[in-house]
Order: sequence, then structure tokens, then C-alpha cells
Amino acid sequence: MAGLQYVLKRLALMIPTFVLVMIIIFLLVRLLPGDPAIAIAGDKASDADLAAIREKLGLNDPLLVQFWLFFTNTLQGDLGRSIMMRTSVSDVIIDRLPTTGFLALFAVSLSLLIAGPLAFVAALNRGKWPDTVIRTVFQVGLSMPVFYIGLILLTFLAAKLRWFPVGGSGDGFWGQMHYLFLPAMTVALYTSAIIMRNLRAAIIEVLDAEYVQFARAKGLPNRLILGRHVLRNALISTITLLGLSIGNLMSGTLVTETVFAVPGLGRLMLEAIFARDYPLIQGLTLTFAILVSIVFLLTDLFQSLLDPRMRLT
Amino acid sequence: MSDAVVTSAKSSDAPQTRVQIALRKPGFLIGAVIIGFSALLALFPSFFAPYDPNFIDYLAVRQPPSWAHPFGTDMLGRDALSRVIHAYTVNMQMAILATVFALTIGVTVGALVGYYRGVADMIFGRVVDAVITFPFLVLVIAVVAVLGPGLINMYIAITLVGWVYYARLMRAEVIAQMGNDYASAGIVMGYSDRRIIFRHLLPNAITPVIVYWMTDMALAILLGSSLGYLGLGAQPPQAEWGVLIAEGRNFITTAWWLSLMPGIAIVITGLGFSLIGDGLADLLRPRG
Amino acid sequence: MTRTLMAAVLAATTALVTPAMAQERGGTMNFARYDGSRLIDPIYADRNPDIWMVGSLFDTLLRSSDDGKSIVGGLAESFEVSEDGKTVTLMLQSGLKFADGSALEADDVLFSLDRARNGDLGPWSGMLGSVSDVTADGQAITVSLSQPDPTILSMLATFNTSIVNKEVFEAAEGATDQDKSAAIFASASAGVGSGAFYMCGFEQGAAMDFCANEHHWEMGADGKPLPYLDKIHFEIIPDDATRILKLQAGEVDAVEFVPFSRVAELDADPAINMNLYPSTRIIYSPINTRETRADGSANPLNDVRVRQAVNYATNKDALIGLVLQGAGQPMTAPLMSSSTRLASKLDLYSYDMDKAMALVKEAGIEAGTKVTLTTLAGSSDDATIFAALQQMWAPLGIELVVEQVDGATRGAKNRSGEFDIHTYGWVDDVNDPSQVTGWLGYSPVRNAVGTGWESDKFNALFEASGTEMDQAARAQQYADMQKIYADAAPLLFMYETPFAVAVSTAVEGYVQTPLGANIFSRATVSK
Repeated sequence: MAGLQYVLKRLALMIPTFVLVMIIIFLLVRLLPGDPAIAIAGDKASDADLAAIREKLGLNDPLLVQFWLFFTNTLQGDLGRSIMMRTSVSDVIIDRLPTTGFLALFAVSLSLLIAGPLAFVAALNRGKWPDTVIRTVFQVGLSMPVFYIGLILLTFLAAKLRWFPVGGSGDGFWGQMHYLFLPAMTVALYTSAIIMRNLRAAIIEVLDAEYVQFARAKGLPNRLILGRHVLRNALISTITLLGLSIGNLMSGTLVTETVFAVPGLGRLMLEAIFARDYPLIQGLTLTFAILVSIVFLLTDLFQSLLDPRMRLT
Repeated sequence: MSDAVVTSAKSSDAPQTRVQIALRKPGFLIGAVIIGFSALLALFPSFFAPYDPNFIDYLAVRQPPSWAHPFGTDMLGRDALSRVIHAYTVNMQMAILATVFALTIGVTVGALVGYYRGVADMIFGRVVDAVITFPFLVLVIAVVAVLGPGLINMYIAITLVGWVYYARLMRAEVIAQMGNDYASAGIVMGYSDRRIIFRHLLPNAITPVIVYWMTDMALAILLGSSLGYLGLGAQPPQAEWGVLIAEGRNFITTAWWLSLMPGIAIVITGLGFSLIGDGLADLLRPRG
Repeated sequence: MTRTLMAAVLAATTALVTPAMAQERGGTMNFARYDGSRLIDPIYADRNPDIWMVGSLFDTLLRSSDDGKSIVGGLAESFEVSEDGKTVTLMLQSGLKFADGSALEADDVLFSLDRARNGDLGPWSGMLGSVSDVTADGQAITVSLSQPDPTILSMLATFNTSIVNKEVFEAAEGATDQDKSAAIFASASAGVGSGAFYMCGFEQGAAMDFCANEHHWEMGADGKPLPYLDKIHFEIIPDDATRILKLQAGEVDAVEFVPFSRVAELDADPAINMNLYPSTRIIYSPINTRETRADGSANPLNDVRVRQAVNYATNKDALIGLVLQGAGQPMTAPLMSSSTRLASKLDLYSYDMDKAMALVKEAGIEAGTKVTLTTLAGSSDDATIFAALQQMWAPLGIELVVEQVDGATRGAKNRSGEFDIHTYGWVDDVNDPSQVTGWLGYSPVRNAVGTGWESDKFNALFEASGTEMDQAARAQQYADMQKIYADAAPLLFMYETPFAVAVSTAVEGYVQTPLGANIFSRATVSK
């Protein structure tokens, strides 16, 4: 079972990656100016109060001791207690994960739905006006900051036309779809622009390839060529790209979720940073890293499924 | 930051004809004109801007566009057009400085690990994974908080992450090029590693990296703007498109011009970079 | 439905309607907040989003009167301070109940006050430093003081002395008091407080629900218990622009913390009432007065003349116009807002460029002297303040540079003294000037809000005022302290702002007090 072996090997390789991520985030949060004790006791607390809280949180212990505790607890599945939320970090994360997961999947699906067909239209009309129009429109999407495009969508589609709710997240599948459409669309505008560019380039490349030219010369209908050769090849590069952009997508949720008031992991991360909530920042970073790694692994597996030539090594 | 699918290229054509081909492509030409003009605005903003971008006029705040102020005035009565123009200096600088160090480091590291492989490559793989899986904005926010806000620290933070993408691309290209005859020939002829890497492999492998660089410059402007919105990038009163949009955002229904104009500047500049990138990609694509 | 039941329903409806012709009851109010509560407990609440909600869930023995100038009864129907000022006797109302219907008794009062003054627990215990013992005899509560304390009645009307249910606390899960408190909060159930509402839903960082407490003692205009509303649903929307859109789209009935730049626009909207509630909020900037900066370099702001000069050179009216669109007023009392008790009314460095120029000349400030203003990253108000001050101070030879940091970093800098000037704000938590005066000027508290300013005379006056029971003498002490502080100028005195809350026209009776507390008990939303 080469496949299983490959998966095991990849999983093993993730371990040093996660350790590295843990070291980086552990050191980084402790370098941040500011004090988690202030987050607990407030600006008005006396210096003595703060010192007592730091002692209680174990922040006065040597760094190595603190890291070892963080490391061993994490191995046992204990991410510690959030300073600002006063509850277990893993509970908070599990609570918020579905919302962000839904948002990410929704955004990816929308990107594919938008970029896929338009990339074909652009590629098949290469150099002609539909190509130019499509590429220019997507370039606009690629150049708009999230906090701006998000507000424009909210102002017109939500507040003026009332097609969508202004912020928050809904209940149930359709409720979520309704509430998260605008934030997902905002993310998708950006992701689909990247996918469209690459898909277009990949399709053109395949169309120009000798075997396709040959098939054309033989008189095979365009539809068949597209279905047989272009689609599969284009899909492979698109999935690779989607996998790679999932990291940006997760990172982008920090701003998107704040603008759209979506109670997800991204907004939580921003709040945790501002409150210097060390355990929560550490837990969230690790969660992001694990999620992104799983997506990478899945894209690689999917790729090898689509393209038997790609060996799993 | 993202990877662009780019195709490997052989530099078999003479450069002369390439320039000629390039100039015949309208997209590339438009891109070059946009970026050229943007560079002029960035270098000589005071020549083009009608007013001092930081001059406050309490008595003329948030005025709509007029002949005197074509883009209106902001909430401090500053001329919005002058601010958009002066922002070119920062934003074009951002496009270059936020990417060029990442490019240099990435290309060097990528070429070396691609050539030598072995343990260095293993370690490289882990570092790349760690950086790519690490939430990027968290790293930037943290680094900027530690070093203090400002453009230079923002460049450092972006470079810390950005080099990885160049290195990955470069490594893959170098490995692909290693299979070519001239690389093995170089080894047989007993050239030094340095000569093989930098004189033979690098020039052949670098074109997709250059194409990606163009996309990355557009993305760097966008990223810098997002950080400006969070207050981590350019510092006031320096005008920067992201900051200008963020400032104007609260007035989107009453003074829409404040956020629209810098938005248009970002779009046009981004368009310029990607048109050049697309042109280069088309141009350097192997023809067979 | 049977005939008898029908008749009963009819009778009930008539009973409801007759005395309350004009009184709207029932319904849900949707309220958009800028930040969420994390733990609403009288003694652990330390952030404004927590503190300002305590009063909805919990009652205090005493209350501030509506105009904020005097103290009136709350859970205690009467109160009396002894001649020597060392004993307060309060008479608890009879028949009081917590939101779950269980009785609120003297035992709960003792438990709550002991908790409030326990120095090992919350950050507020110092405010009850004069209390030596609390005892009960039936419904009579006696608070004994180790020394006379002119603030004690105000303290018994402050959120941290709210009454909690002893039984619920003792039954709660958790090893420490704080764990128990967090567990009670997380369970979101009735019973811990006796306020007009109890918490009936909580989604950390996203949403929160308050439900009407039918056992509340306070009566509405229709002779039935307050509140009028059945429920309040809070949603947290941190982004200002999104929060306002939510109101404009009709998805919420009220939004708090409207940026002042939007006030005029919302005021003009016929579907929205833009309310500006008077507040005790002051916006000021601490100035580092130490001889040297944290990096060892000489500090030009150590010279009082330079501090006075920058105060004179700051055109407050222009700032208020730019930042608040006119919705504010320059500070007139150096240590507090003008609405705080005992506030002086001074001419606090009215804009005067000539005086400013003369002062810097006298102080020998060289052109190009660099001063750093530390501001909050991402705050457009702060960015505006900086840009305006930079231009205003340039003629003095002061080159103002900016340093944008987040709140946690700013707090750390304030403590370590690694700043020149930074933006800051304050809202009173207590209906008494002692808290804000201690914070801004009494150096043992926090180095006079981090400025490093220290005046023995000021400190002596502050200490004396702590036990001064004679109203006139205490007023004089406060007048003297304010004079000293104004002359020393350890702050850049800026302005006072109201609380800007926009509500739909259907909302009536909602109030935000000068201390910031959100009062929903008399609020209604017409359908």
C-alpha cells in the first residue's frame, strides 16, 4: 500500500513542522510588549496586583519551563485556559471552528463557481474582448482591500437592498448560507481572481500542446478535446493552487470576520492578540497550522488520484 | 501572497526580438505605460500634486470634488488628490521593498537547496511548511508589535514570510533544470558549484520567479494597505492608499470620493503589474 | 377553548390594559455593541463592557439619583450615617427576591460586601478600604468604618457592591471564587442577581441575551414590576461602519459608540434618533514629566512651561470640530469631567498662541525639538488628533512624530514611562470625584496616570480629603487640588464627549448614565 505509506510519511513530517510552529508562536507572544495580567486586572490595577497575577499564571517561570509545560500539555490535548474568556482554549476553538470552516468552504466553492466557467470563456477567446473584459474585472477584484469591498457589499446589498443580513452568523445550513454569503463572496472575489488567472493560463497551455493540436487536426470536436484533456489538466493545477491559497484564506479571516462581525476563529485571533491572551493565541495558531496542513495533504492526495503519473513520494 | 502557475522557459530567443514581440502586445504595453507613469508620480509627487498633502484646513473639511479640489478634501480639509498622488511614493516603494528582499533571499536559498538537496533540503522543507502553515497576518502583527509600527518593520515582517514562496518556486525550477544536458555537462567539465548554480542554472530557472514577482508586487500593495487599515503600516500623516481608504470608509455614503479615489489608484497600479506579469509569462513561454 | 377559560383570559387582559393605557410592554430590543462582556460579576468586572452591564443584572443597596448629584435608596429603603461618620445603617426592603424567586436576605448582603472588600479577589476592594465590619440584625445592615469616609454612600451605590446570591455562589462548581463566578456566568441562568434582568443566553464574543426578571422589586408606571421589555438581545459588532449599517438596515434597534463623524448623518435620518447622553468621559493625554526619558535622553516636557505651552497651543475648539464634529466641549476641570461632583470651572488653557510662543521662548526650546505622540493603531480619531496637533505645535518649534501601537502596548508604555505623550480617556466608575482624582493626580496610585508627576502638597490634600466629612472643607480641598494640577499641566487637557447611541424611533426610555451604565429597565420598543 504505497498510498497509506505515503500518508503516514507525510503525517510524520508534519510533527517537526508543528513543533517549529509552536516554538515560533511561543517566543513571539512573549516578545510582544504588553502584559496579559493587564487584560485580567485592567488598566487601573496596581503594579503589585499585576505581579501577583503574573505569578499565578506562571509567567515568571523560566521560558524553558513554560515551553515544556505548553508542549507537554498540548501533546495531551490540553491547550490551557484562555485568559480573557476564562474557559478552556479547546472549548472556545471547537465552538468557533464550524463557523470559520463553513465560511472557508463556502468561499472556495464560490471561487470555483465564478472562476471556472469564466476562465474557459477567457481562454477560448484569448486576446479577444471577452478575455480582456473578464481579466480586467477580476483584476479589480484582486486589487480591492477586503475591508473596503466588504463595506461596499454591505452598504448596497445588505443595508440598501436588504438581500442579505448585515453581520453575524445564522443558524442551520441555510441560515449560515444566508448570513455568510457576503463575507464568503468578499473572500471569493480575491481567490477567484487568482484561480481564474491560473486556470486560464493552464487551459491555454493545454490547448497549445502538441497532442491537443494533433487531436484537433484529426477533426475531434472541440467539446471532446476540452472534456478529455483540458478539464483534467486544468483541475489539477487549480486544486494545487486552492490548497496553497487556503493559508491566505485562513489568515484573511482575521479581517473579513471583523468587518462582517462573524464570530469565527479569525476575529477571535485578533481579539486574543489585542488582549495578549497567550494560551489562546498559541492554541489558535496551532489550530490554523493543523488545518492548513491537512488541506495540503488532501490536495496532494487528490492530485495523485487525478493524475496517476504523479507518484506519491 | 500566492503562487502563480508559471511555465518553465528556455531562453533560446535573442533578447532583441523578445522586446520587439513584447511591444507588439497591447496588454504588456499598457502595463508598462501604467507602471512607468506610476513610477513618475512616485518619484516626483510634488511636481504633480496641486497642494501640500498634509496641509490642514479646518474650514474646508470633506468638500465634494470641485475644480479647486478635483478629488475633494478629507476630514481635515487636506486635498484628496494631492494625498492620493503622494501615496504613490509609499505604495510603489512598498511594491518593491516588500518583495525584493524576499526575491533575493528566496532565489538564493531555493537555488542552493535545489542543487545540493540532502539534509539542507529536508530542513528547508520543514521551515517552508512551518512558515506556510503559520497564519501570516498573525506573524506580521506580532513582528510589527515587537519591532514597533512603521514601513521598515512591515517590510521585515513581510520578507520573513515572502521569501518562502520564491524559494519553493526556485527550488522546483532548479531541480527541473538539473535534468538538462547543460547542467550535467557543466559537472562533467569540472566547473565549480558556484559557477554551475549562478552562471548556468539560475539564469535559466529564474523566469517564472520574475513572472511571479510581478504578481507579488501587486499583492504587496494590497497587503500593505490592509496593514495600514490596522494601523501597522505607513504612519500618519503620510498618505497611503490603504490608510486613505480606511479613513474614507466611514463616509462611504456621505463623502464616497474619499475612499473611491485611492481605491481606483490601487486597482490601476495592480492592473499594471499584472499586465506586465501576464505579458512576461506569454513572452517567456516555450514555443515549440 | 372553554368558555370559562376564555372569560379568565379576557379578565386578565382587561386588568393589564386598564391601568396601563400608555404603557408599552413586552417585546425584544436588539442592541448592537462594540465589544462583548466577558464576565459580568460585581467584583471582577474590570472592562467597561462588563462594568456597564452589572447594573442590569444586579442591584446595589443605594443608587445615584437621576441627576447624579445625590444618593437615594436602592435595595435599602432607608439609610443613615452616624454623627461621627463611622457607621452607616441601612434598612433592607422587605420581600426582596432574586430573579429565580428565592429570597434576598441580609445574609446575601453580608456575603456580597465581604466579597467586595476582600483584597485577594477583585481589583475594586480598595474602594471599600475604610470598611472594618459589616453586620446584620434582621433587615438592618450596619457598615462600620475604621475612619470617617465621605465617599462611603457613593461606594454603596457603585457596581462592585452589588448584591449576589450567597446560596448560588456556594453551590457553584469551582475551587476558587473566580472559578465559581465564571461557572455561574457561563451557565447563563437566573438566580445570581436581583436586577431588572437576568442573563438567559450567552455566546462568548458574539451574542448575549437578557430576560426580564419578573420578581424585580422596582415598579413601572403601570404599577407592575420593571422592566417593560421581555428580552434584550445583544450582538457584538466591532466594526463601526458595519454596526451602523445594522441599524440602518433595521436589523437592530440600537447601536452604541457611534463615531462622532457619523452623528450628523444619523441625526438627519428620520427613522433614527441620535442620542448624545451626557457623560463623565474625558479625553486627555498624559505627558511624561520625568527629567529624562526612558532611554536616558533629556525630556523637554519636564519643563512645566513647555507643558503649558503645548496646552495653550492646542486649539480645543478646532479639535472638537475635527474629531467630534462639534459634539463635545473643552475640559474645564483639570481632574475630571465638568459633570463630576466638585468639579471646578476653570479657564483651562484656552487657545492662545502668543502665550504659548512666549513660554517656549522662556523655556529655551530649540526649533526641531522632537516629541513623540503615541496613539492607538487603527483609530481614526487618534490619527486626526495627531495630524491636527502636529500642525498646531509646529510654530512652537516642536516636531511632533507619531507612534501607533495597540491598546496593550500603550498600557505597558504608560506603566514603564516609555512615552512622551499618549492619547487616553477616562469614564468615572463612581459617583464621586475621589476615584478620578486619585487616578490622575495622586502619585502613589499609579504615578499620576503614568506621568511621573508628583506633588507633596497635592498628595497631602488628597489624603486629607479622604476622611473629611465636612462638605465645604472637602469642596475646598478639591478646588485646591484642581488649581495645583491645572498649573502643573501633567496632561494635555483636551475635551469631554457624550456617549453617542443611535436608536430606531421605535425605542424609548433607554438611558446611558454619565458613568456609562446601560439602563434598560424603562426601555420600550413599540411594535
